[in-house]
Amino acid sequence: MNHSNRPFYAQAIAASLVAGLLVPSSMNAQLDRSRPPAPGPAPVVQLAEHSLTELPNGMRLIVVEDHKLPMVSVQVRFDVPPIVQGDKTGFVDMMGELLTTGTPTRTKALIDERIDALGASLYAGNEGVYASVLKKNLDPLLDILADVVRNPSFPEEELEKAKLRARSAVQQRQEDPDSIAEAVGRVVTFGSHHPYGEVATERSINSITRSSVWAYHRYFFRPENAYLVFVGDVSEKEAKDLAKQYFGKWKPDHSLVSTDEYGRTEVEGMGVLSKLEKASVPHAERRVFVVDRPGAAQSVIRISFPLNLHPKDIRSMQAQVMNTLLGGGVFNARLMQNLREKRGFTYGCYSSLEVDRFNSSFVVTTSVRTAVTDSAVNEILNEMARMRYEPVTAEELELAKQFMMGSFGRSLEDPRTVARFVLNTHLNELPAEHYRTYLTRLEAITAQQVMDAANAFLYPDQANILVVGDLERMEDERSLLSNLSDRGIIQLDENGAPWKEVLSPVMDRTAEQVLDAYVKAVGGTEKLAALRHLYIERTAVRGVDTLVTKEWYAPDQLRTKLTMNGAVEEEVIHDGNRVFFANTEVSGELTDAGYDDVALRTPPVPEAKYAKVLERMTLLGSTEIAGRPAYKVQFQTVSGLGFAQYFDAETGLKLRRTDELLYNGRKYDQVISYADWKPLGGVLFPHEIRERGGLAGKVVRHITYTEVNKAMPVTHFEVNIPEVPDLPVPPEMLPPPENLVPSDE
Amino acid sequence: MPPENATTHKRAIAYTEFDLPNGLHVILHEDHGTPIVAVSVMYHVGSKNETPDRRGFAHFFEHLLFEGSQNIQRGEFSKLVERAGGVLNANTSGDRTYYYEVLPSNQLELGLWLESERMLHAKVDQVGIDTQREVVKEERMQRYENQPYGTVTLEVFKRAFKQHPYQWPAIGFMEDLNTATEADYQAFYKKFYVPNNATLVVAGDIDPAKTRTLVERYFGEIARGAPVVQPSIVEPPLGGEVRDIIYDRIQLPAVVMGYRIPANGTPDFYAVELLNRLLTGGNSARMNVALRDQQELAVYVGAFNFPFEHPGIAMIFAVANAGVEAGALEAAMQLEIDALQTVPISTEELAKLKIQLETELIGENSRVAGIASSLATAHVLLGDTDLVNTEIDRYLELSAEDLQRAARTYFVPQNRVLLHYLPRPKNQP
Repeated sequence: MNHSNRPFYAQAIAASLVAGLLVPSSMNAQLDRSRPPAPGPAPVVQLAEHSLTELPNGMRLIVVEDHKLPMVSVQVRFDVPPIVQGDKTGFVDMMGELLTTGTPTRTKALIDERIDALGASLYAGNEGVYASVLKKNLDPLLDILADVVRNPSFPEEELEKAKLRARSAVQQRQEDPDSIAEAVGRVVTFGSHHPYGEVATERSINSITRSSVWAYHRYFFRPENAYLVFVGDVSEKEAKDLAKQYFGKWKPDHSLVSTDEYGRTEVEGMGVLSKLEKASVPHAERRVFVVDRPGAAQSVIRISFPLNLHPKDIRSMQAQVMNTLLGGGVFNARLMQNLREKRGFTYGCYSSLEVDRFNSSFVVTTSVRTAVTDSAVNEILNEMARMRYEPVTAEELELAKQFMMGSFGRSLEDPRTVARFVLNTHLNELPAEHYRTYLTRLEAITAQQVMDAANAFLYPDQANILVVGDLERMEDERSLLSNLSDRGIIQLDENGAPWKEVLSPVMDRTAEQVLDAYVKAVGGTEKLAALRHLYIERTAVRGVDTLVTKEWYAPDQLRTKLTMNGAVEEEVIHDGNRVFFANTEVSGELTDAGYDDVALRTPPVPEAKYAKVLERMTLLGSTEIAGRPAYKVQFQTVSGLGFAQYFDAETGLKLRRTDELLYNGRKYDQVISYADWKPLGGVLFPHEIRERGGLAGKVVRHITYTEVNKAMPVTHFEVNIPEVPDLPVPPEMLPPPENLVPSDE
Repeated sequence: MPPENATTHKRAIAYTEFDLPNGLHVILHEDHGTPIVAVSVMYHVGSKNETPDRRGFAHFFEHLLFEGSQNIQRGEFSKLVERAGGVLNANTSGDRTYYYEVLPSNQLELGLWLESERMLHAKVDQVGIDTQREVVKEERMQRYENQPYGTVTLEVFKRAFKQHPYQWPAIGFMEDLNTATEADYQAFYKKFYVPNNATLVVAGDIDPAKTRTLVERYFGEIARGAPVVQPSIVEPPLGGEVRDIIYDRIQLPAVVMGYRIPANGTPDFYAVELLNRLLTGGNSARMNVALRDQQELAVYVGAFNFPFEHPGIAMIFAVANAGVEAGALEAAMQLEIDALQTVPISTEELAKLKIQLETELIGENSRVAGIASSLATAHVLLGDTDLVNTEIDRYLELSAEDLQRAARTYFVPQNRVLLHYLPRPKNQP
């Protein structure tokens, strides 16, 4: 072992702290700035003493004395398992919030007034209550603390107020990208029927009843289920006396509990207690989820999966070293160095390994500018994968271990840390010497163990990738987010439920009027009539250059061509009567739906003729597209081809077209968006077209060349018909060029 | 024996302070509770030292100064700290830039070496400048643009100050950072990163005498720079209420009141701070009771001072409950503000505020990192290190009349920026 890298904290064996500083022998010599100075002898880290006793009613008392400051903190912590809350999700947190809103002898106002007058702070939650106060006010604080823990009355009026606050909090959460990522991230990590995956909604909050809140408290807040923790300027004797005075006579109440016919625990007022039966484990395959936030400044990325890893598992610490090295808090972690210092994608990128006795999980979070979203996701997945197959360097391992030792040492500056250790030891069933041997066990961890931990606990191929951001603009044109999963992108709403379009009914206009408004917006029928010819080149960069050309002559002759790197990949010709199609593999005439599709989009502004050629058009309602108010119109051709278009309710312009495509048994929701409208021959055309979700994945095309109203060359539309294929195939059913097929990886 | 030119104060937080011949001010605090040490340097330079075409430069600098020195390669600075088991970070305000490491106490000398390298001959290359520019751009988006109500401080300060540099945020503007050159960097470093514009604090498990010797050894050779002249721009009175509506991506409206107040450290600054507490400090505070509990108009309300060296802002920020309009919320807030002016605060309420403060100050000084920061702030921004122990007296001597007078002087409409944050209409992308 390299001695310059020896642990700076020796294990706690001596009783005294070594405060002395090593004064280098070179003290009087010329200062050598070229190298970092050597450390002095390692100081000894000492865990403070604590006492643990039990009251006759089963309540356990933990005391950690620290007389440096005249402050005392008091905690009552209940051993509470996570439960499924179902349609009342939110009631567990609300119970905690309501603890301080009234007892038989104190109103909320009185409690608040008293706490503030003592200069105390008091926080209540579903696992108990935490408070801190100046030593001189400890006794009156305990009087209130014991009252809110033992006798909360959950006034109906306060419940209603709490519900309004909770509904407001839901509305706030739904507009905060970080909070959305957190809530939806839990849903996709654990599933929506898991205690850790339930998300409160306005609806679930409205369903909360006083009886369930009351029952939760009565069932879980019992003395034999509780730890009472004193830390600070208090003696063990004082703490014991206070514990006896305020909690000694507290008796458990089991009257609410019964067992139903299936042997399940039933709590009156709360129903059957649904605890977590089995910890969630990583999903079988990788999935990509997006919560769309049109116009978002950044994408919030959260990559996660659940783990079956108990705190008492000896691999937990190895996994924590691995996590530190990957992204757990050190600036020199791989994710931070890669995404921030090397690429400048983000202000920060962190991983965390939540080792939890009920269900552990691993999460990576970062915020990046929209344009690099999928590059960032790929880099994160790459770094996770690299941890699994490439041993970490000795230097990295040393840094991670030393940093963790340092954190351990620093954490002891807060006397509450030791109390936390004692609580953890009990709740997580850790060996009694767990924290006393922490530093030596940490020091012994090897690179091989770190790699083993990566293989046991990192699942880049089974991760849930969640992005909260602008769906339209988040994909880089070279690497596709949707290709990271066989299922493509799954769109969710702000609460983690499958995304559904919300349409409001429109009474004041018809589909025909929406179309008329569009035609008028692009220039009107007169301007359209003056247009006799149009040639447009649209270029896209997708690793290779692709070029789409569209040449139209009035009334309805059309040639379109897709060229990749100069080679023609696909060509469609409409000679005014018939439609011919050719790609590198097949060619022939298109009829029925295939003909309809081409004939429909032959004119420069096809919508001008929709009313004449379509079987049906329906104004489905109004919605919002990329922050714009929009009308959605559904169209259907005679042959059964259906698609929808969205029109801006104010400008009249077309915003989007959506098609459902089927290929190889997989459904593709193709979305084409139109922007950057500029005139050609007096008529407005979208100069930017974005396509996503289809067979070709993400494509952005810009107009790069145009010609207007030129004369048609002779024989331009004479076509030599190749042999006719057996079955007419609409273009969307034909196999796409190979390099456009989403890969299976 | 304390060094001859040092003053030792025996108060709740004991410390020693002295100047090196090059002007570096040094504060030492000895505490052997935990074998750790905080090493920090506060430079008296913040966004108010910037010119209008280089907004954000002080903060950008903070990023650059982790890039290395003549003896520390790019990327090594943080490695040296973390491999020693320490943490490091920095932050920038309108007035100062603060760097710190918290290390195991046997690594004290490493901390001194690192900070002296940063002060003596920091070095950045173009790669570092280009990367950190991207990082700062992301920081700006993450902190302000991608957060609901994230622009509140930017919108208030922009309207509250027309001449003083507080009008722009420390994070600055990308257009200015994009045009900054290496020459700007050199000039800024030479002007502000000099020992006579810096305060070094070492707090924790140290031997003060030996630490002093080490400090002299590492920092003594750094040359004194030209005296730093702090800006003397005096912002004229606001001259009338400034009202505006900001549309944000939110569902719940919010009301923001930004009142112009005197500088940190002045008696009235403390008086306004007590008014803030009276309104929103704790569940029994007036606005919490009236707006949250009784009228159910707000889901959150908070009032706080920005502790600036020059006259700054006290901000009251409230988020409406679901279904509540900004106007109704504002009216209820105004009633509470009016009450501050018409009825003097009761003895009980004043006592409550004071015990809250007392408790809070004790909590703040429970860790050496916090103590180091308090010591540096007291010396650099308030000009009196001993305020870490005596600032509480400034609060305790305030009377009900002082508070009422402060409310009448500062919490008046003509002295404020008032913003309504409203959900962005559907037709405004």
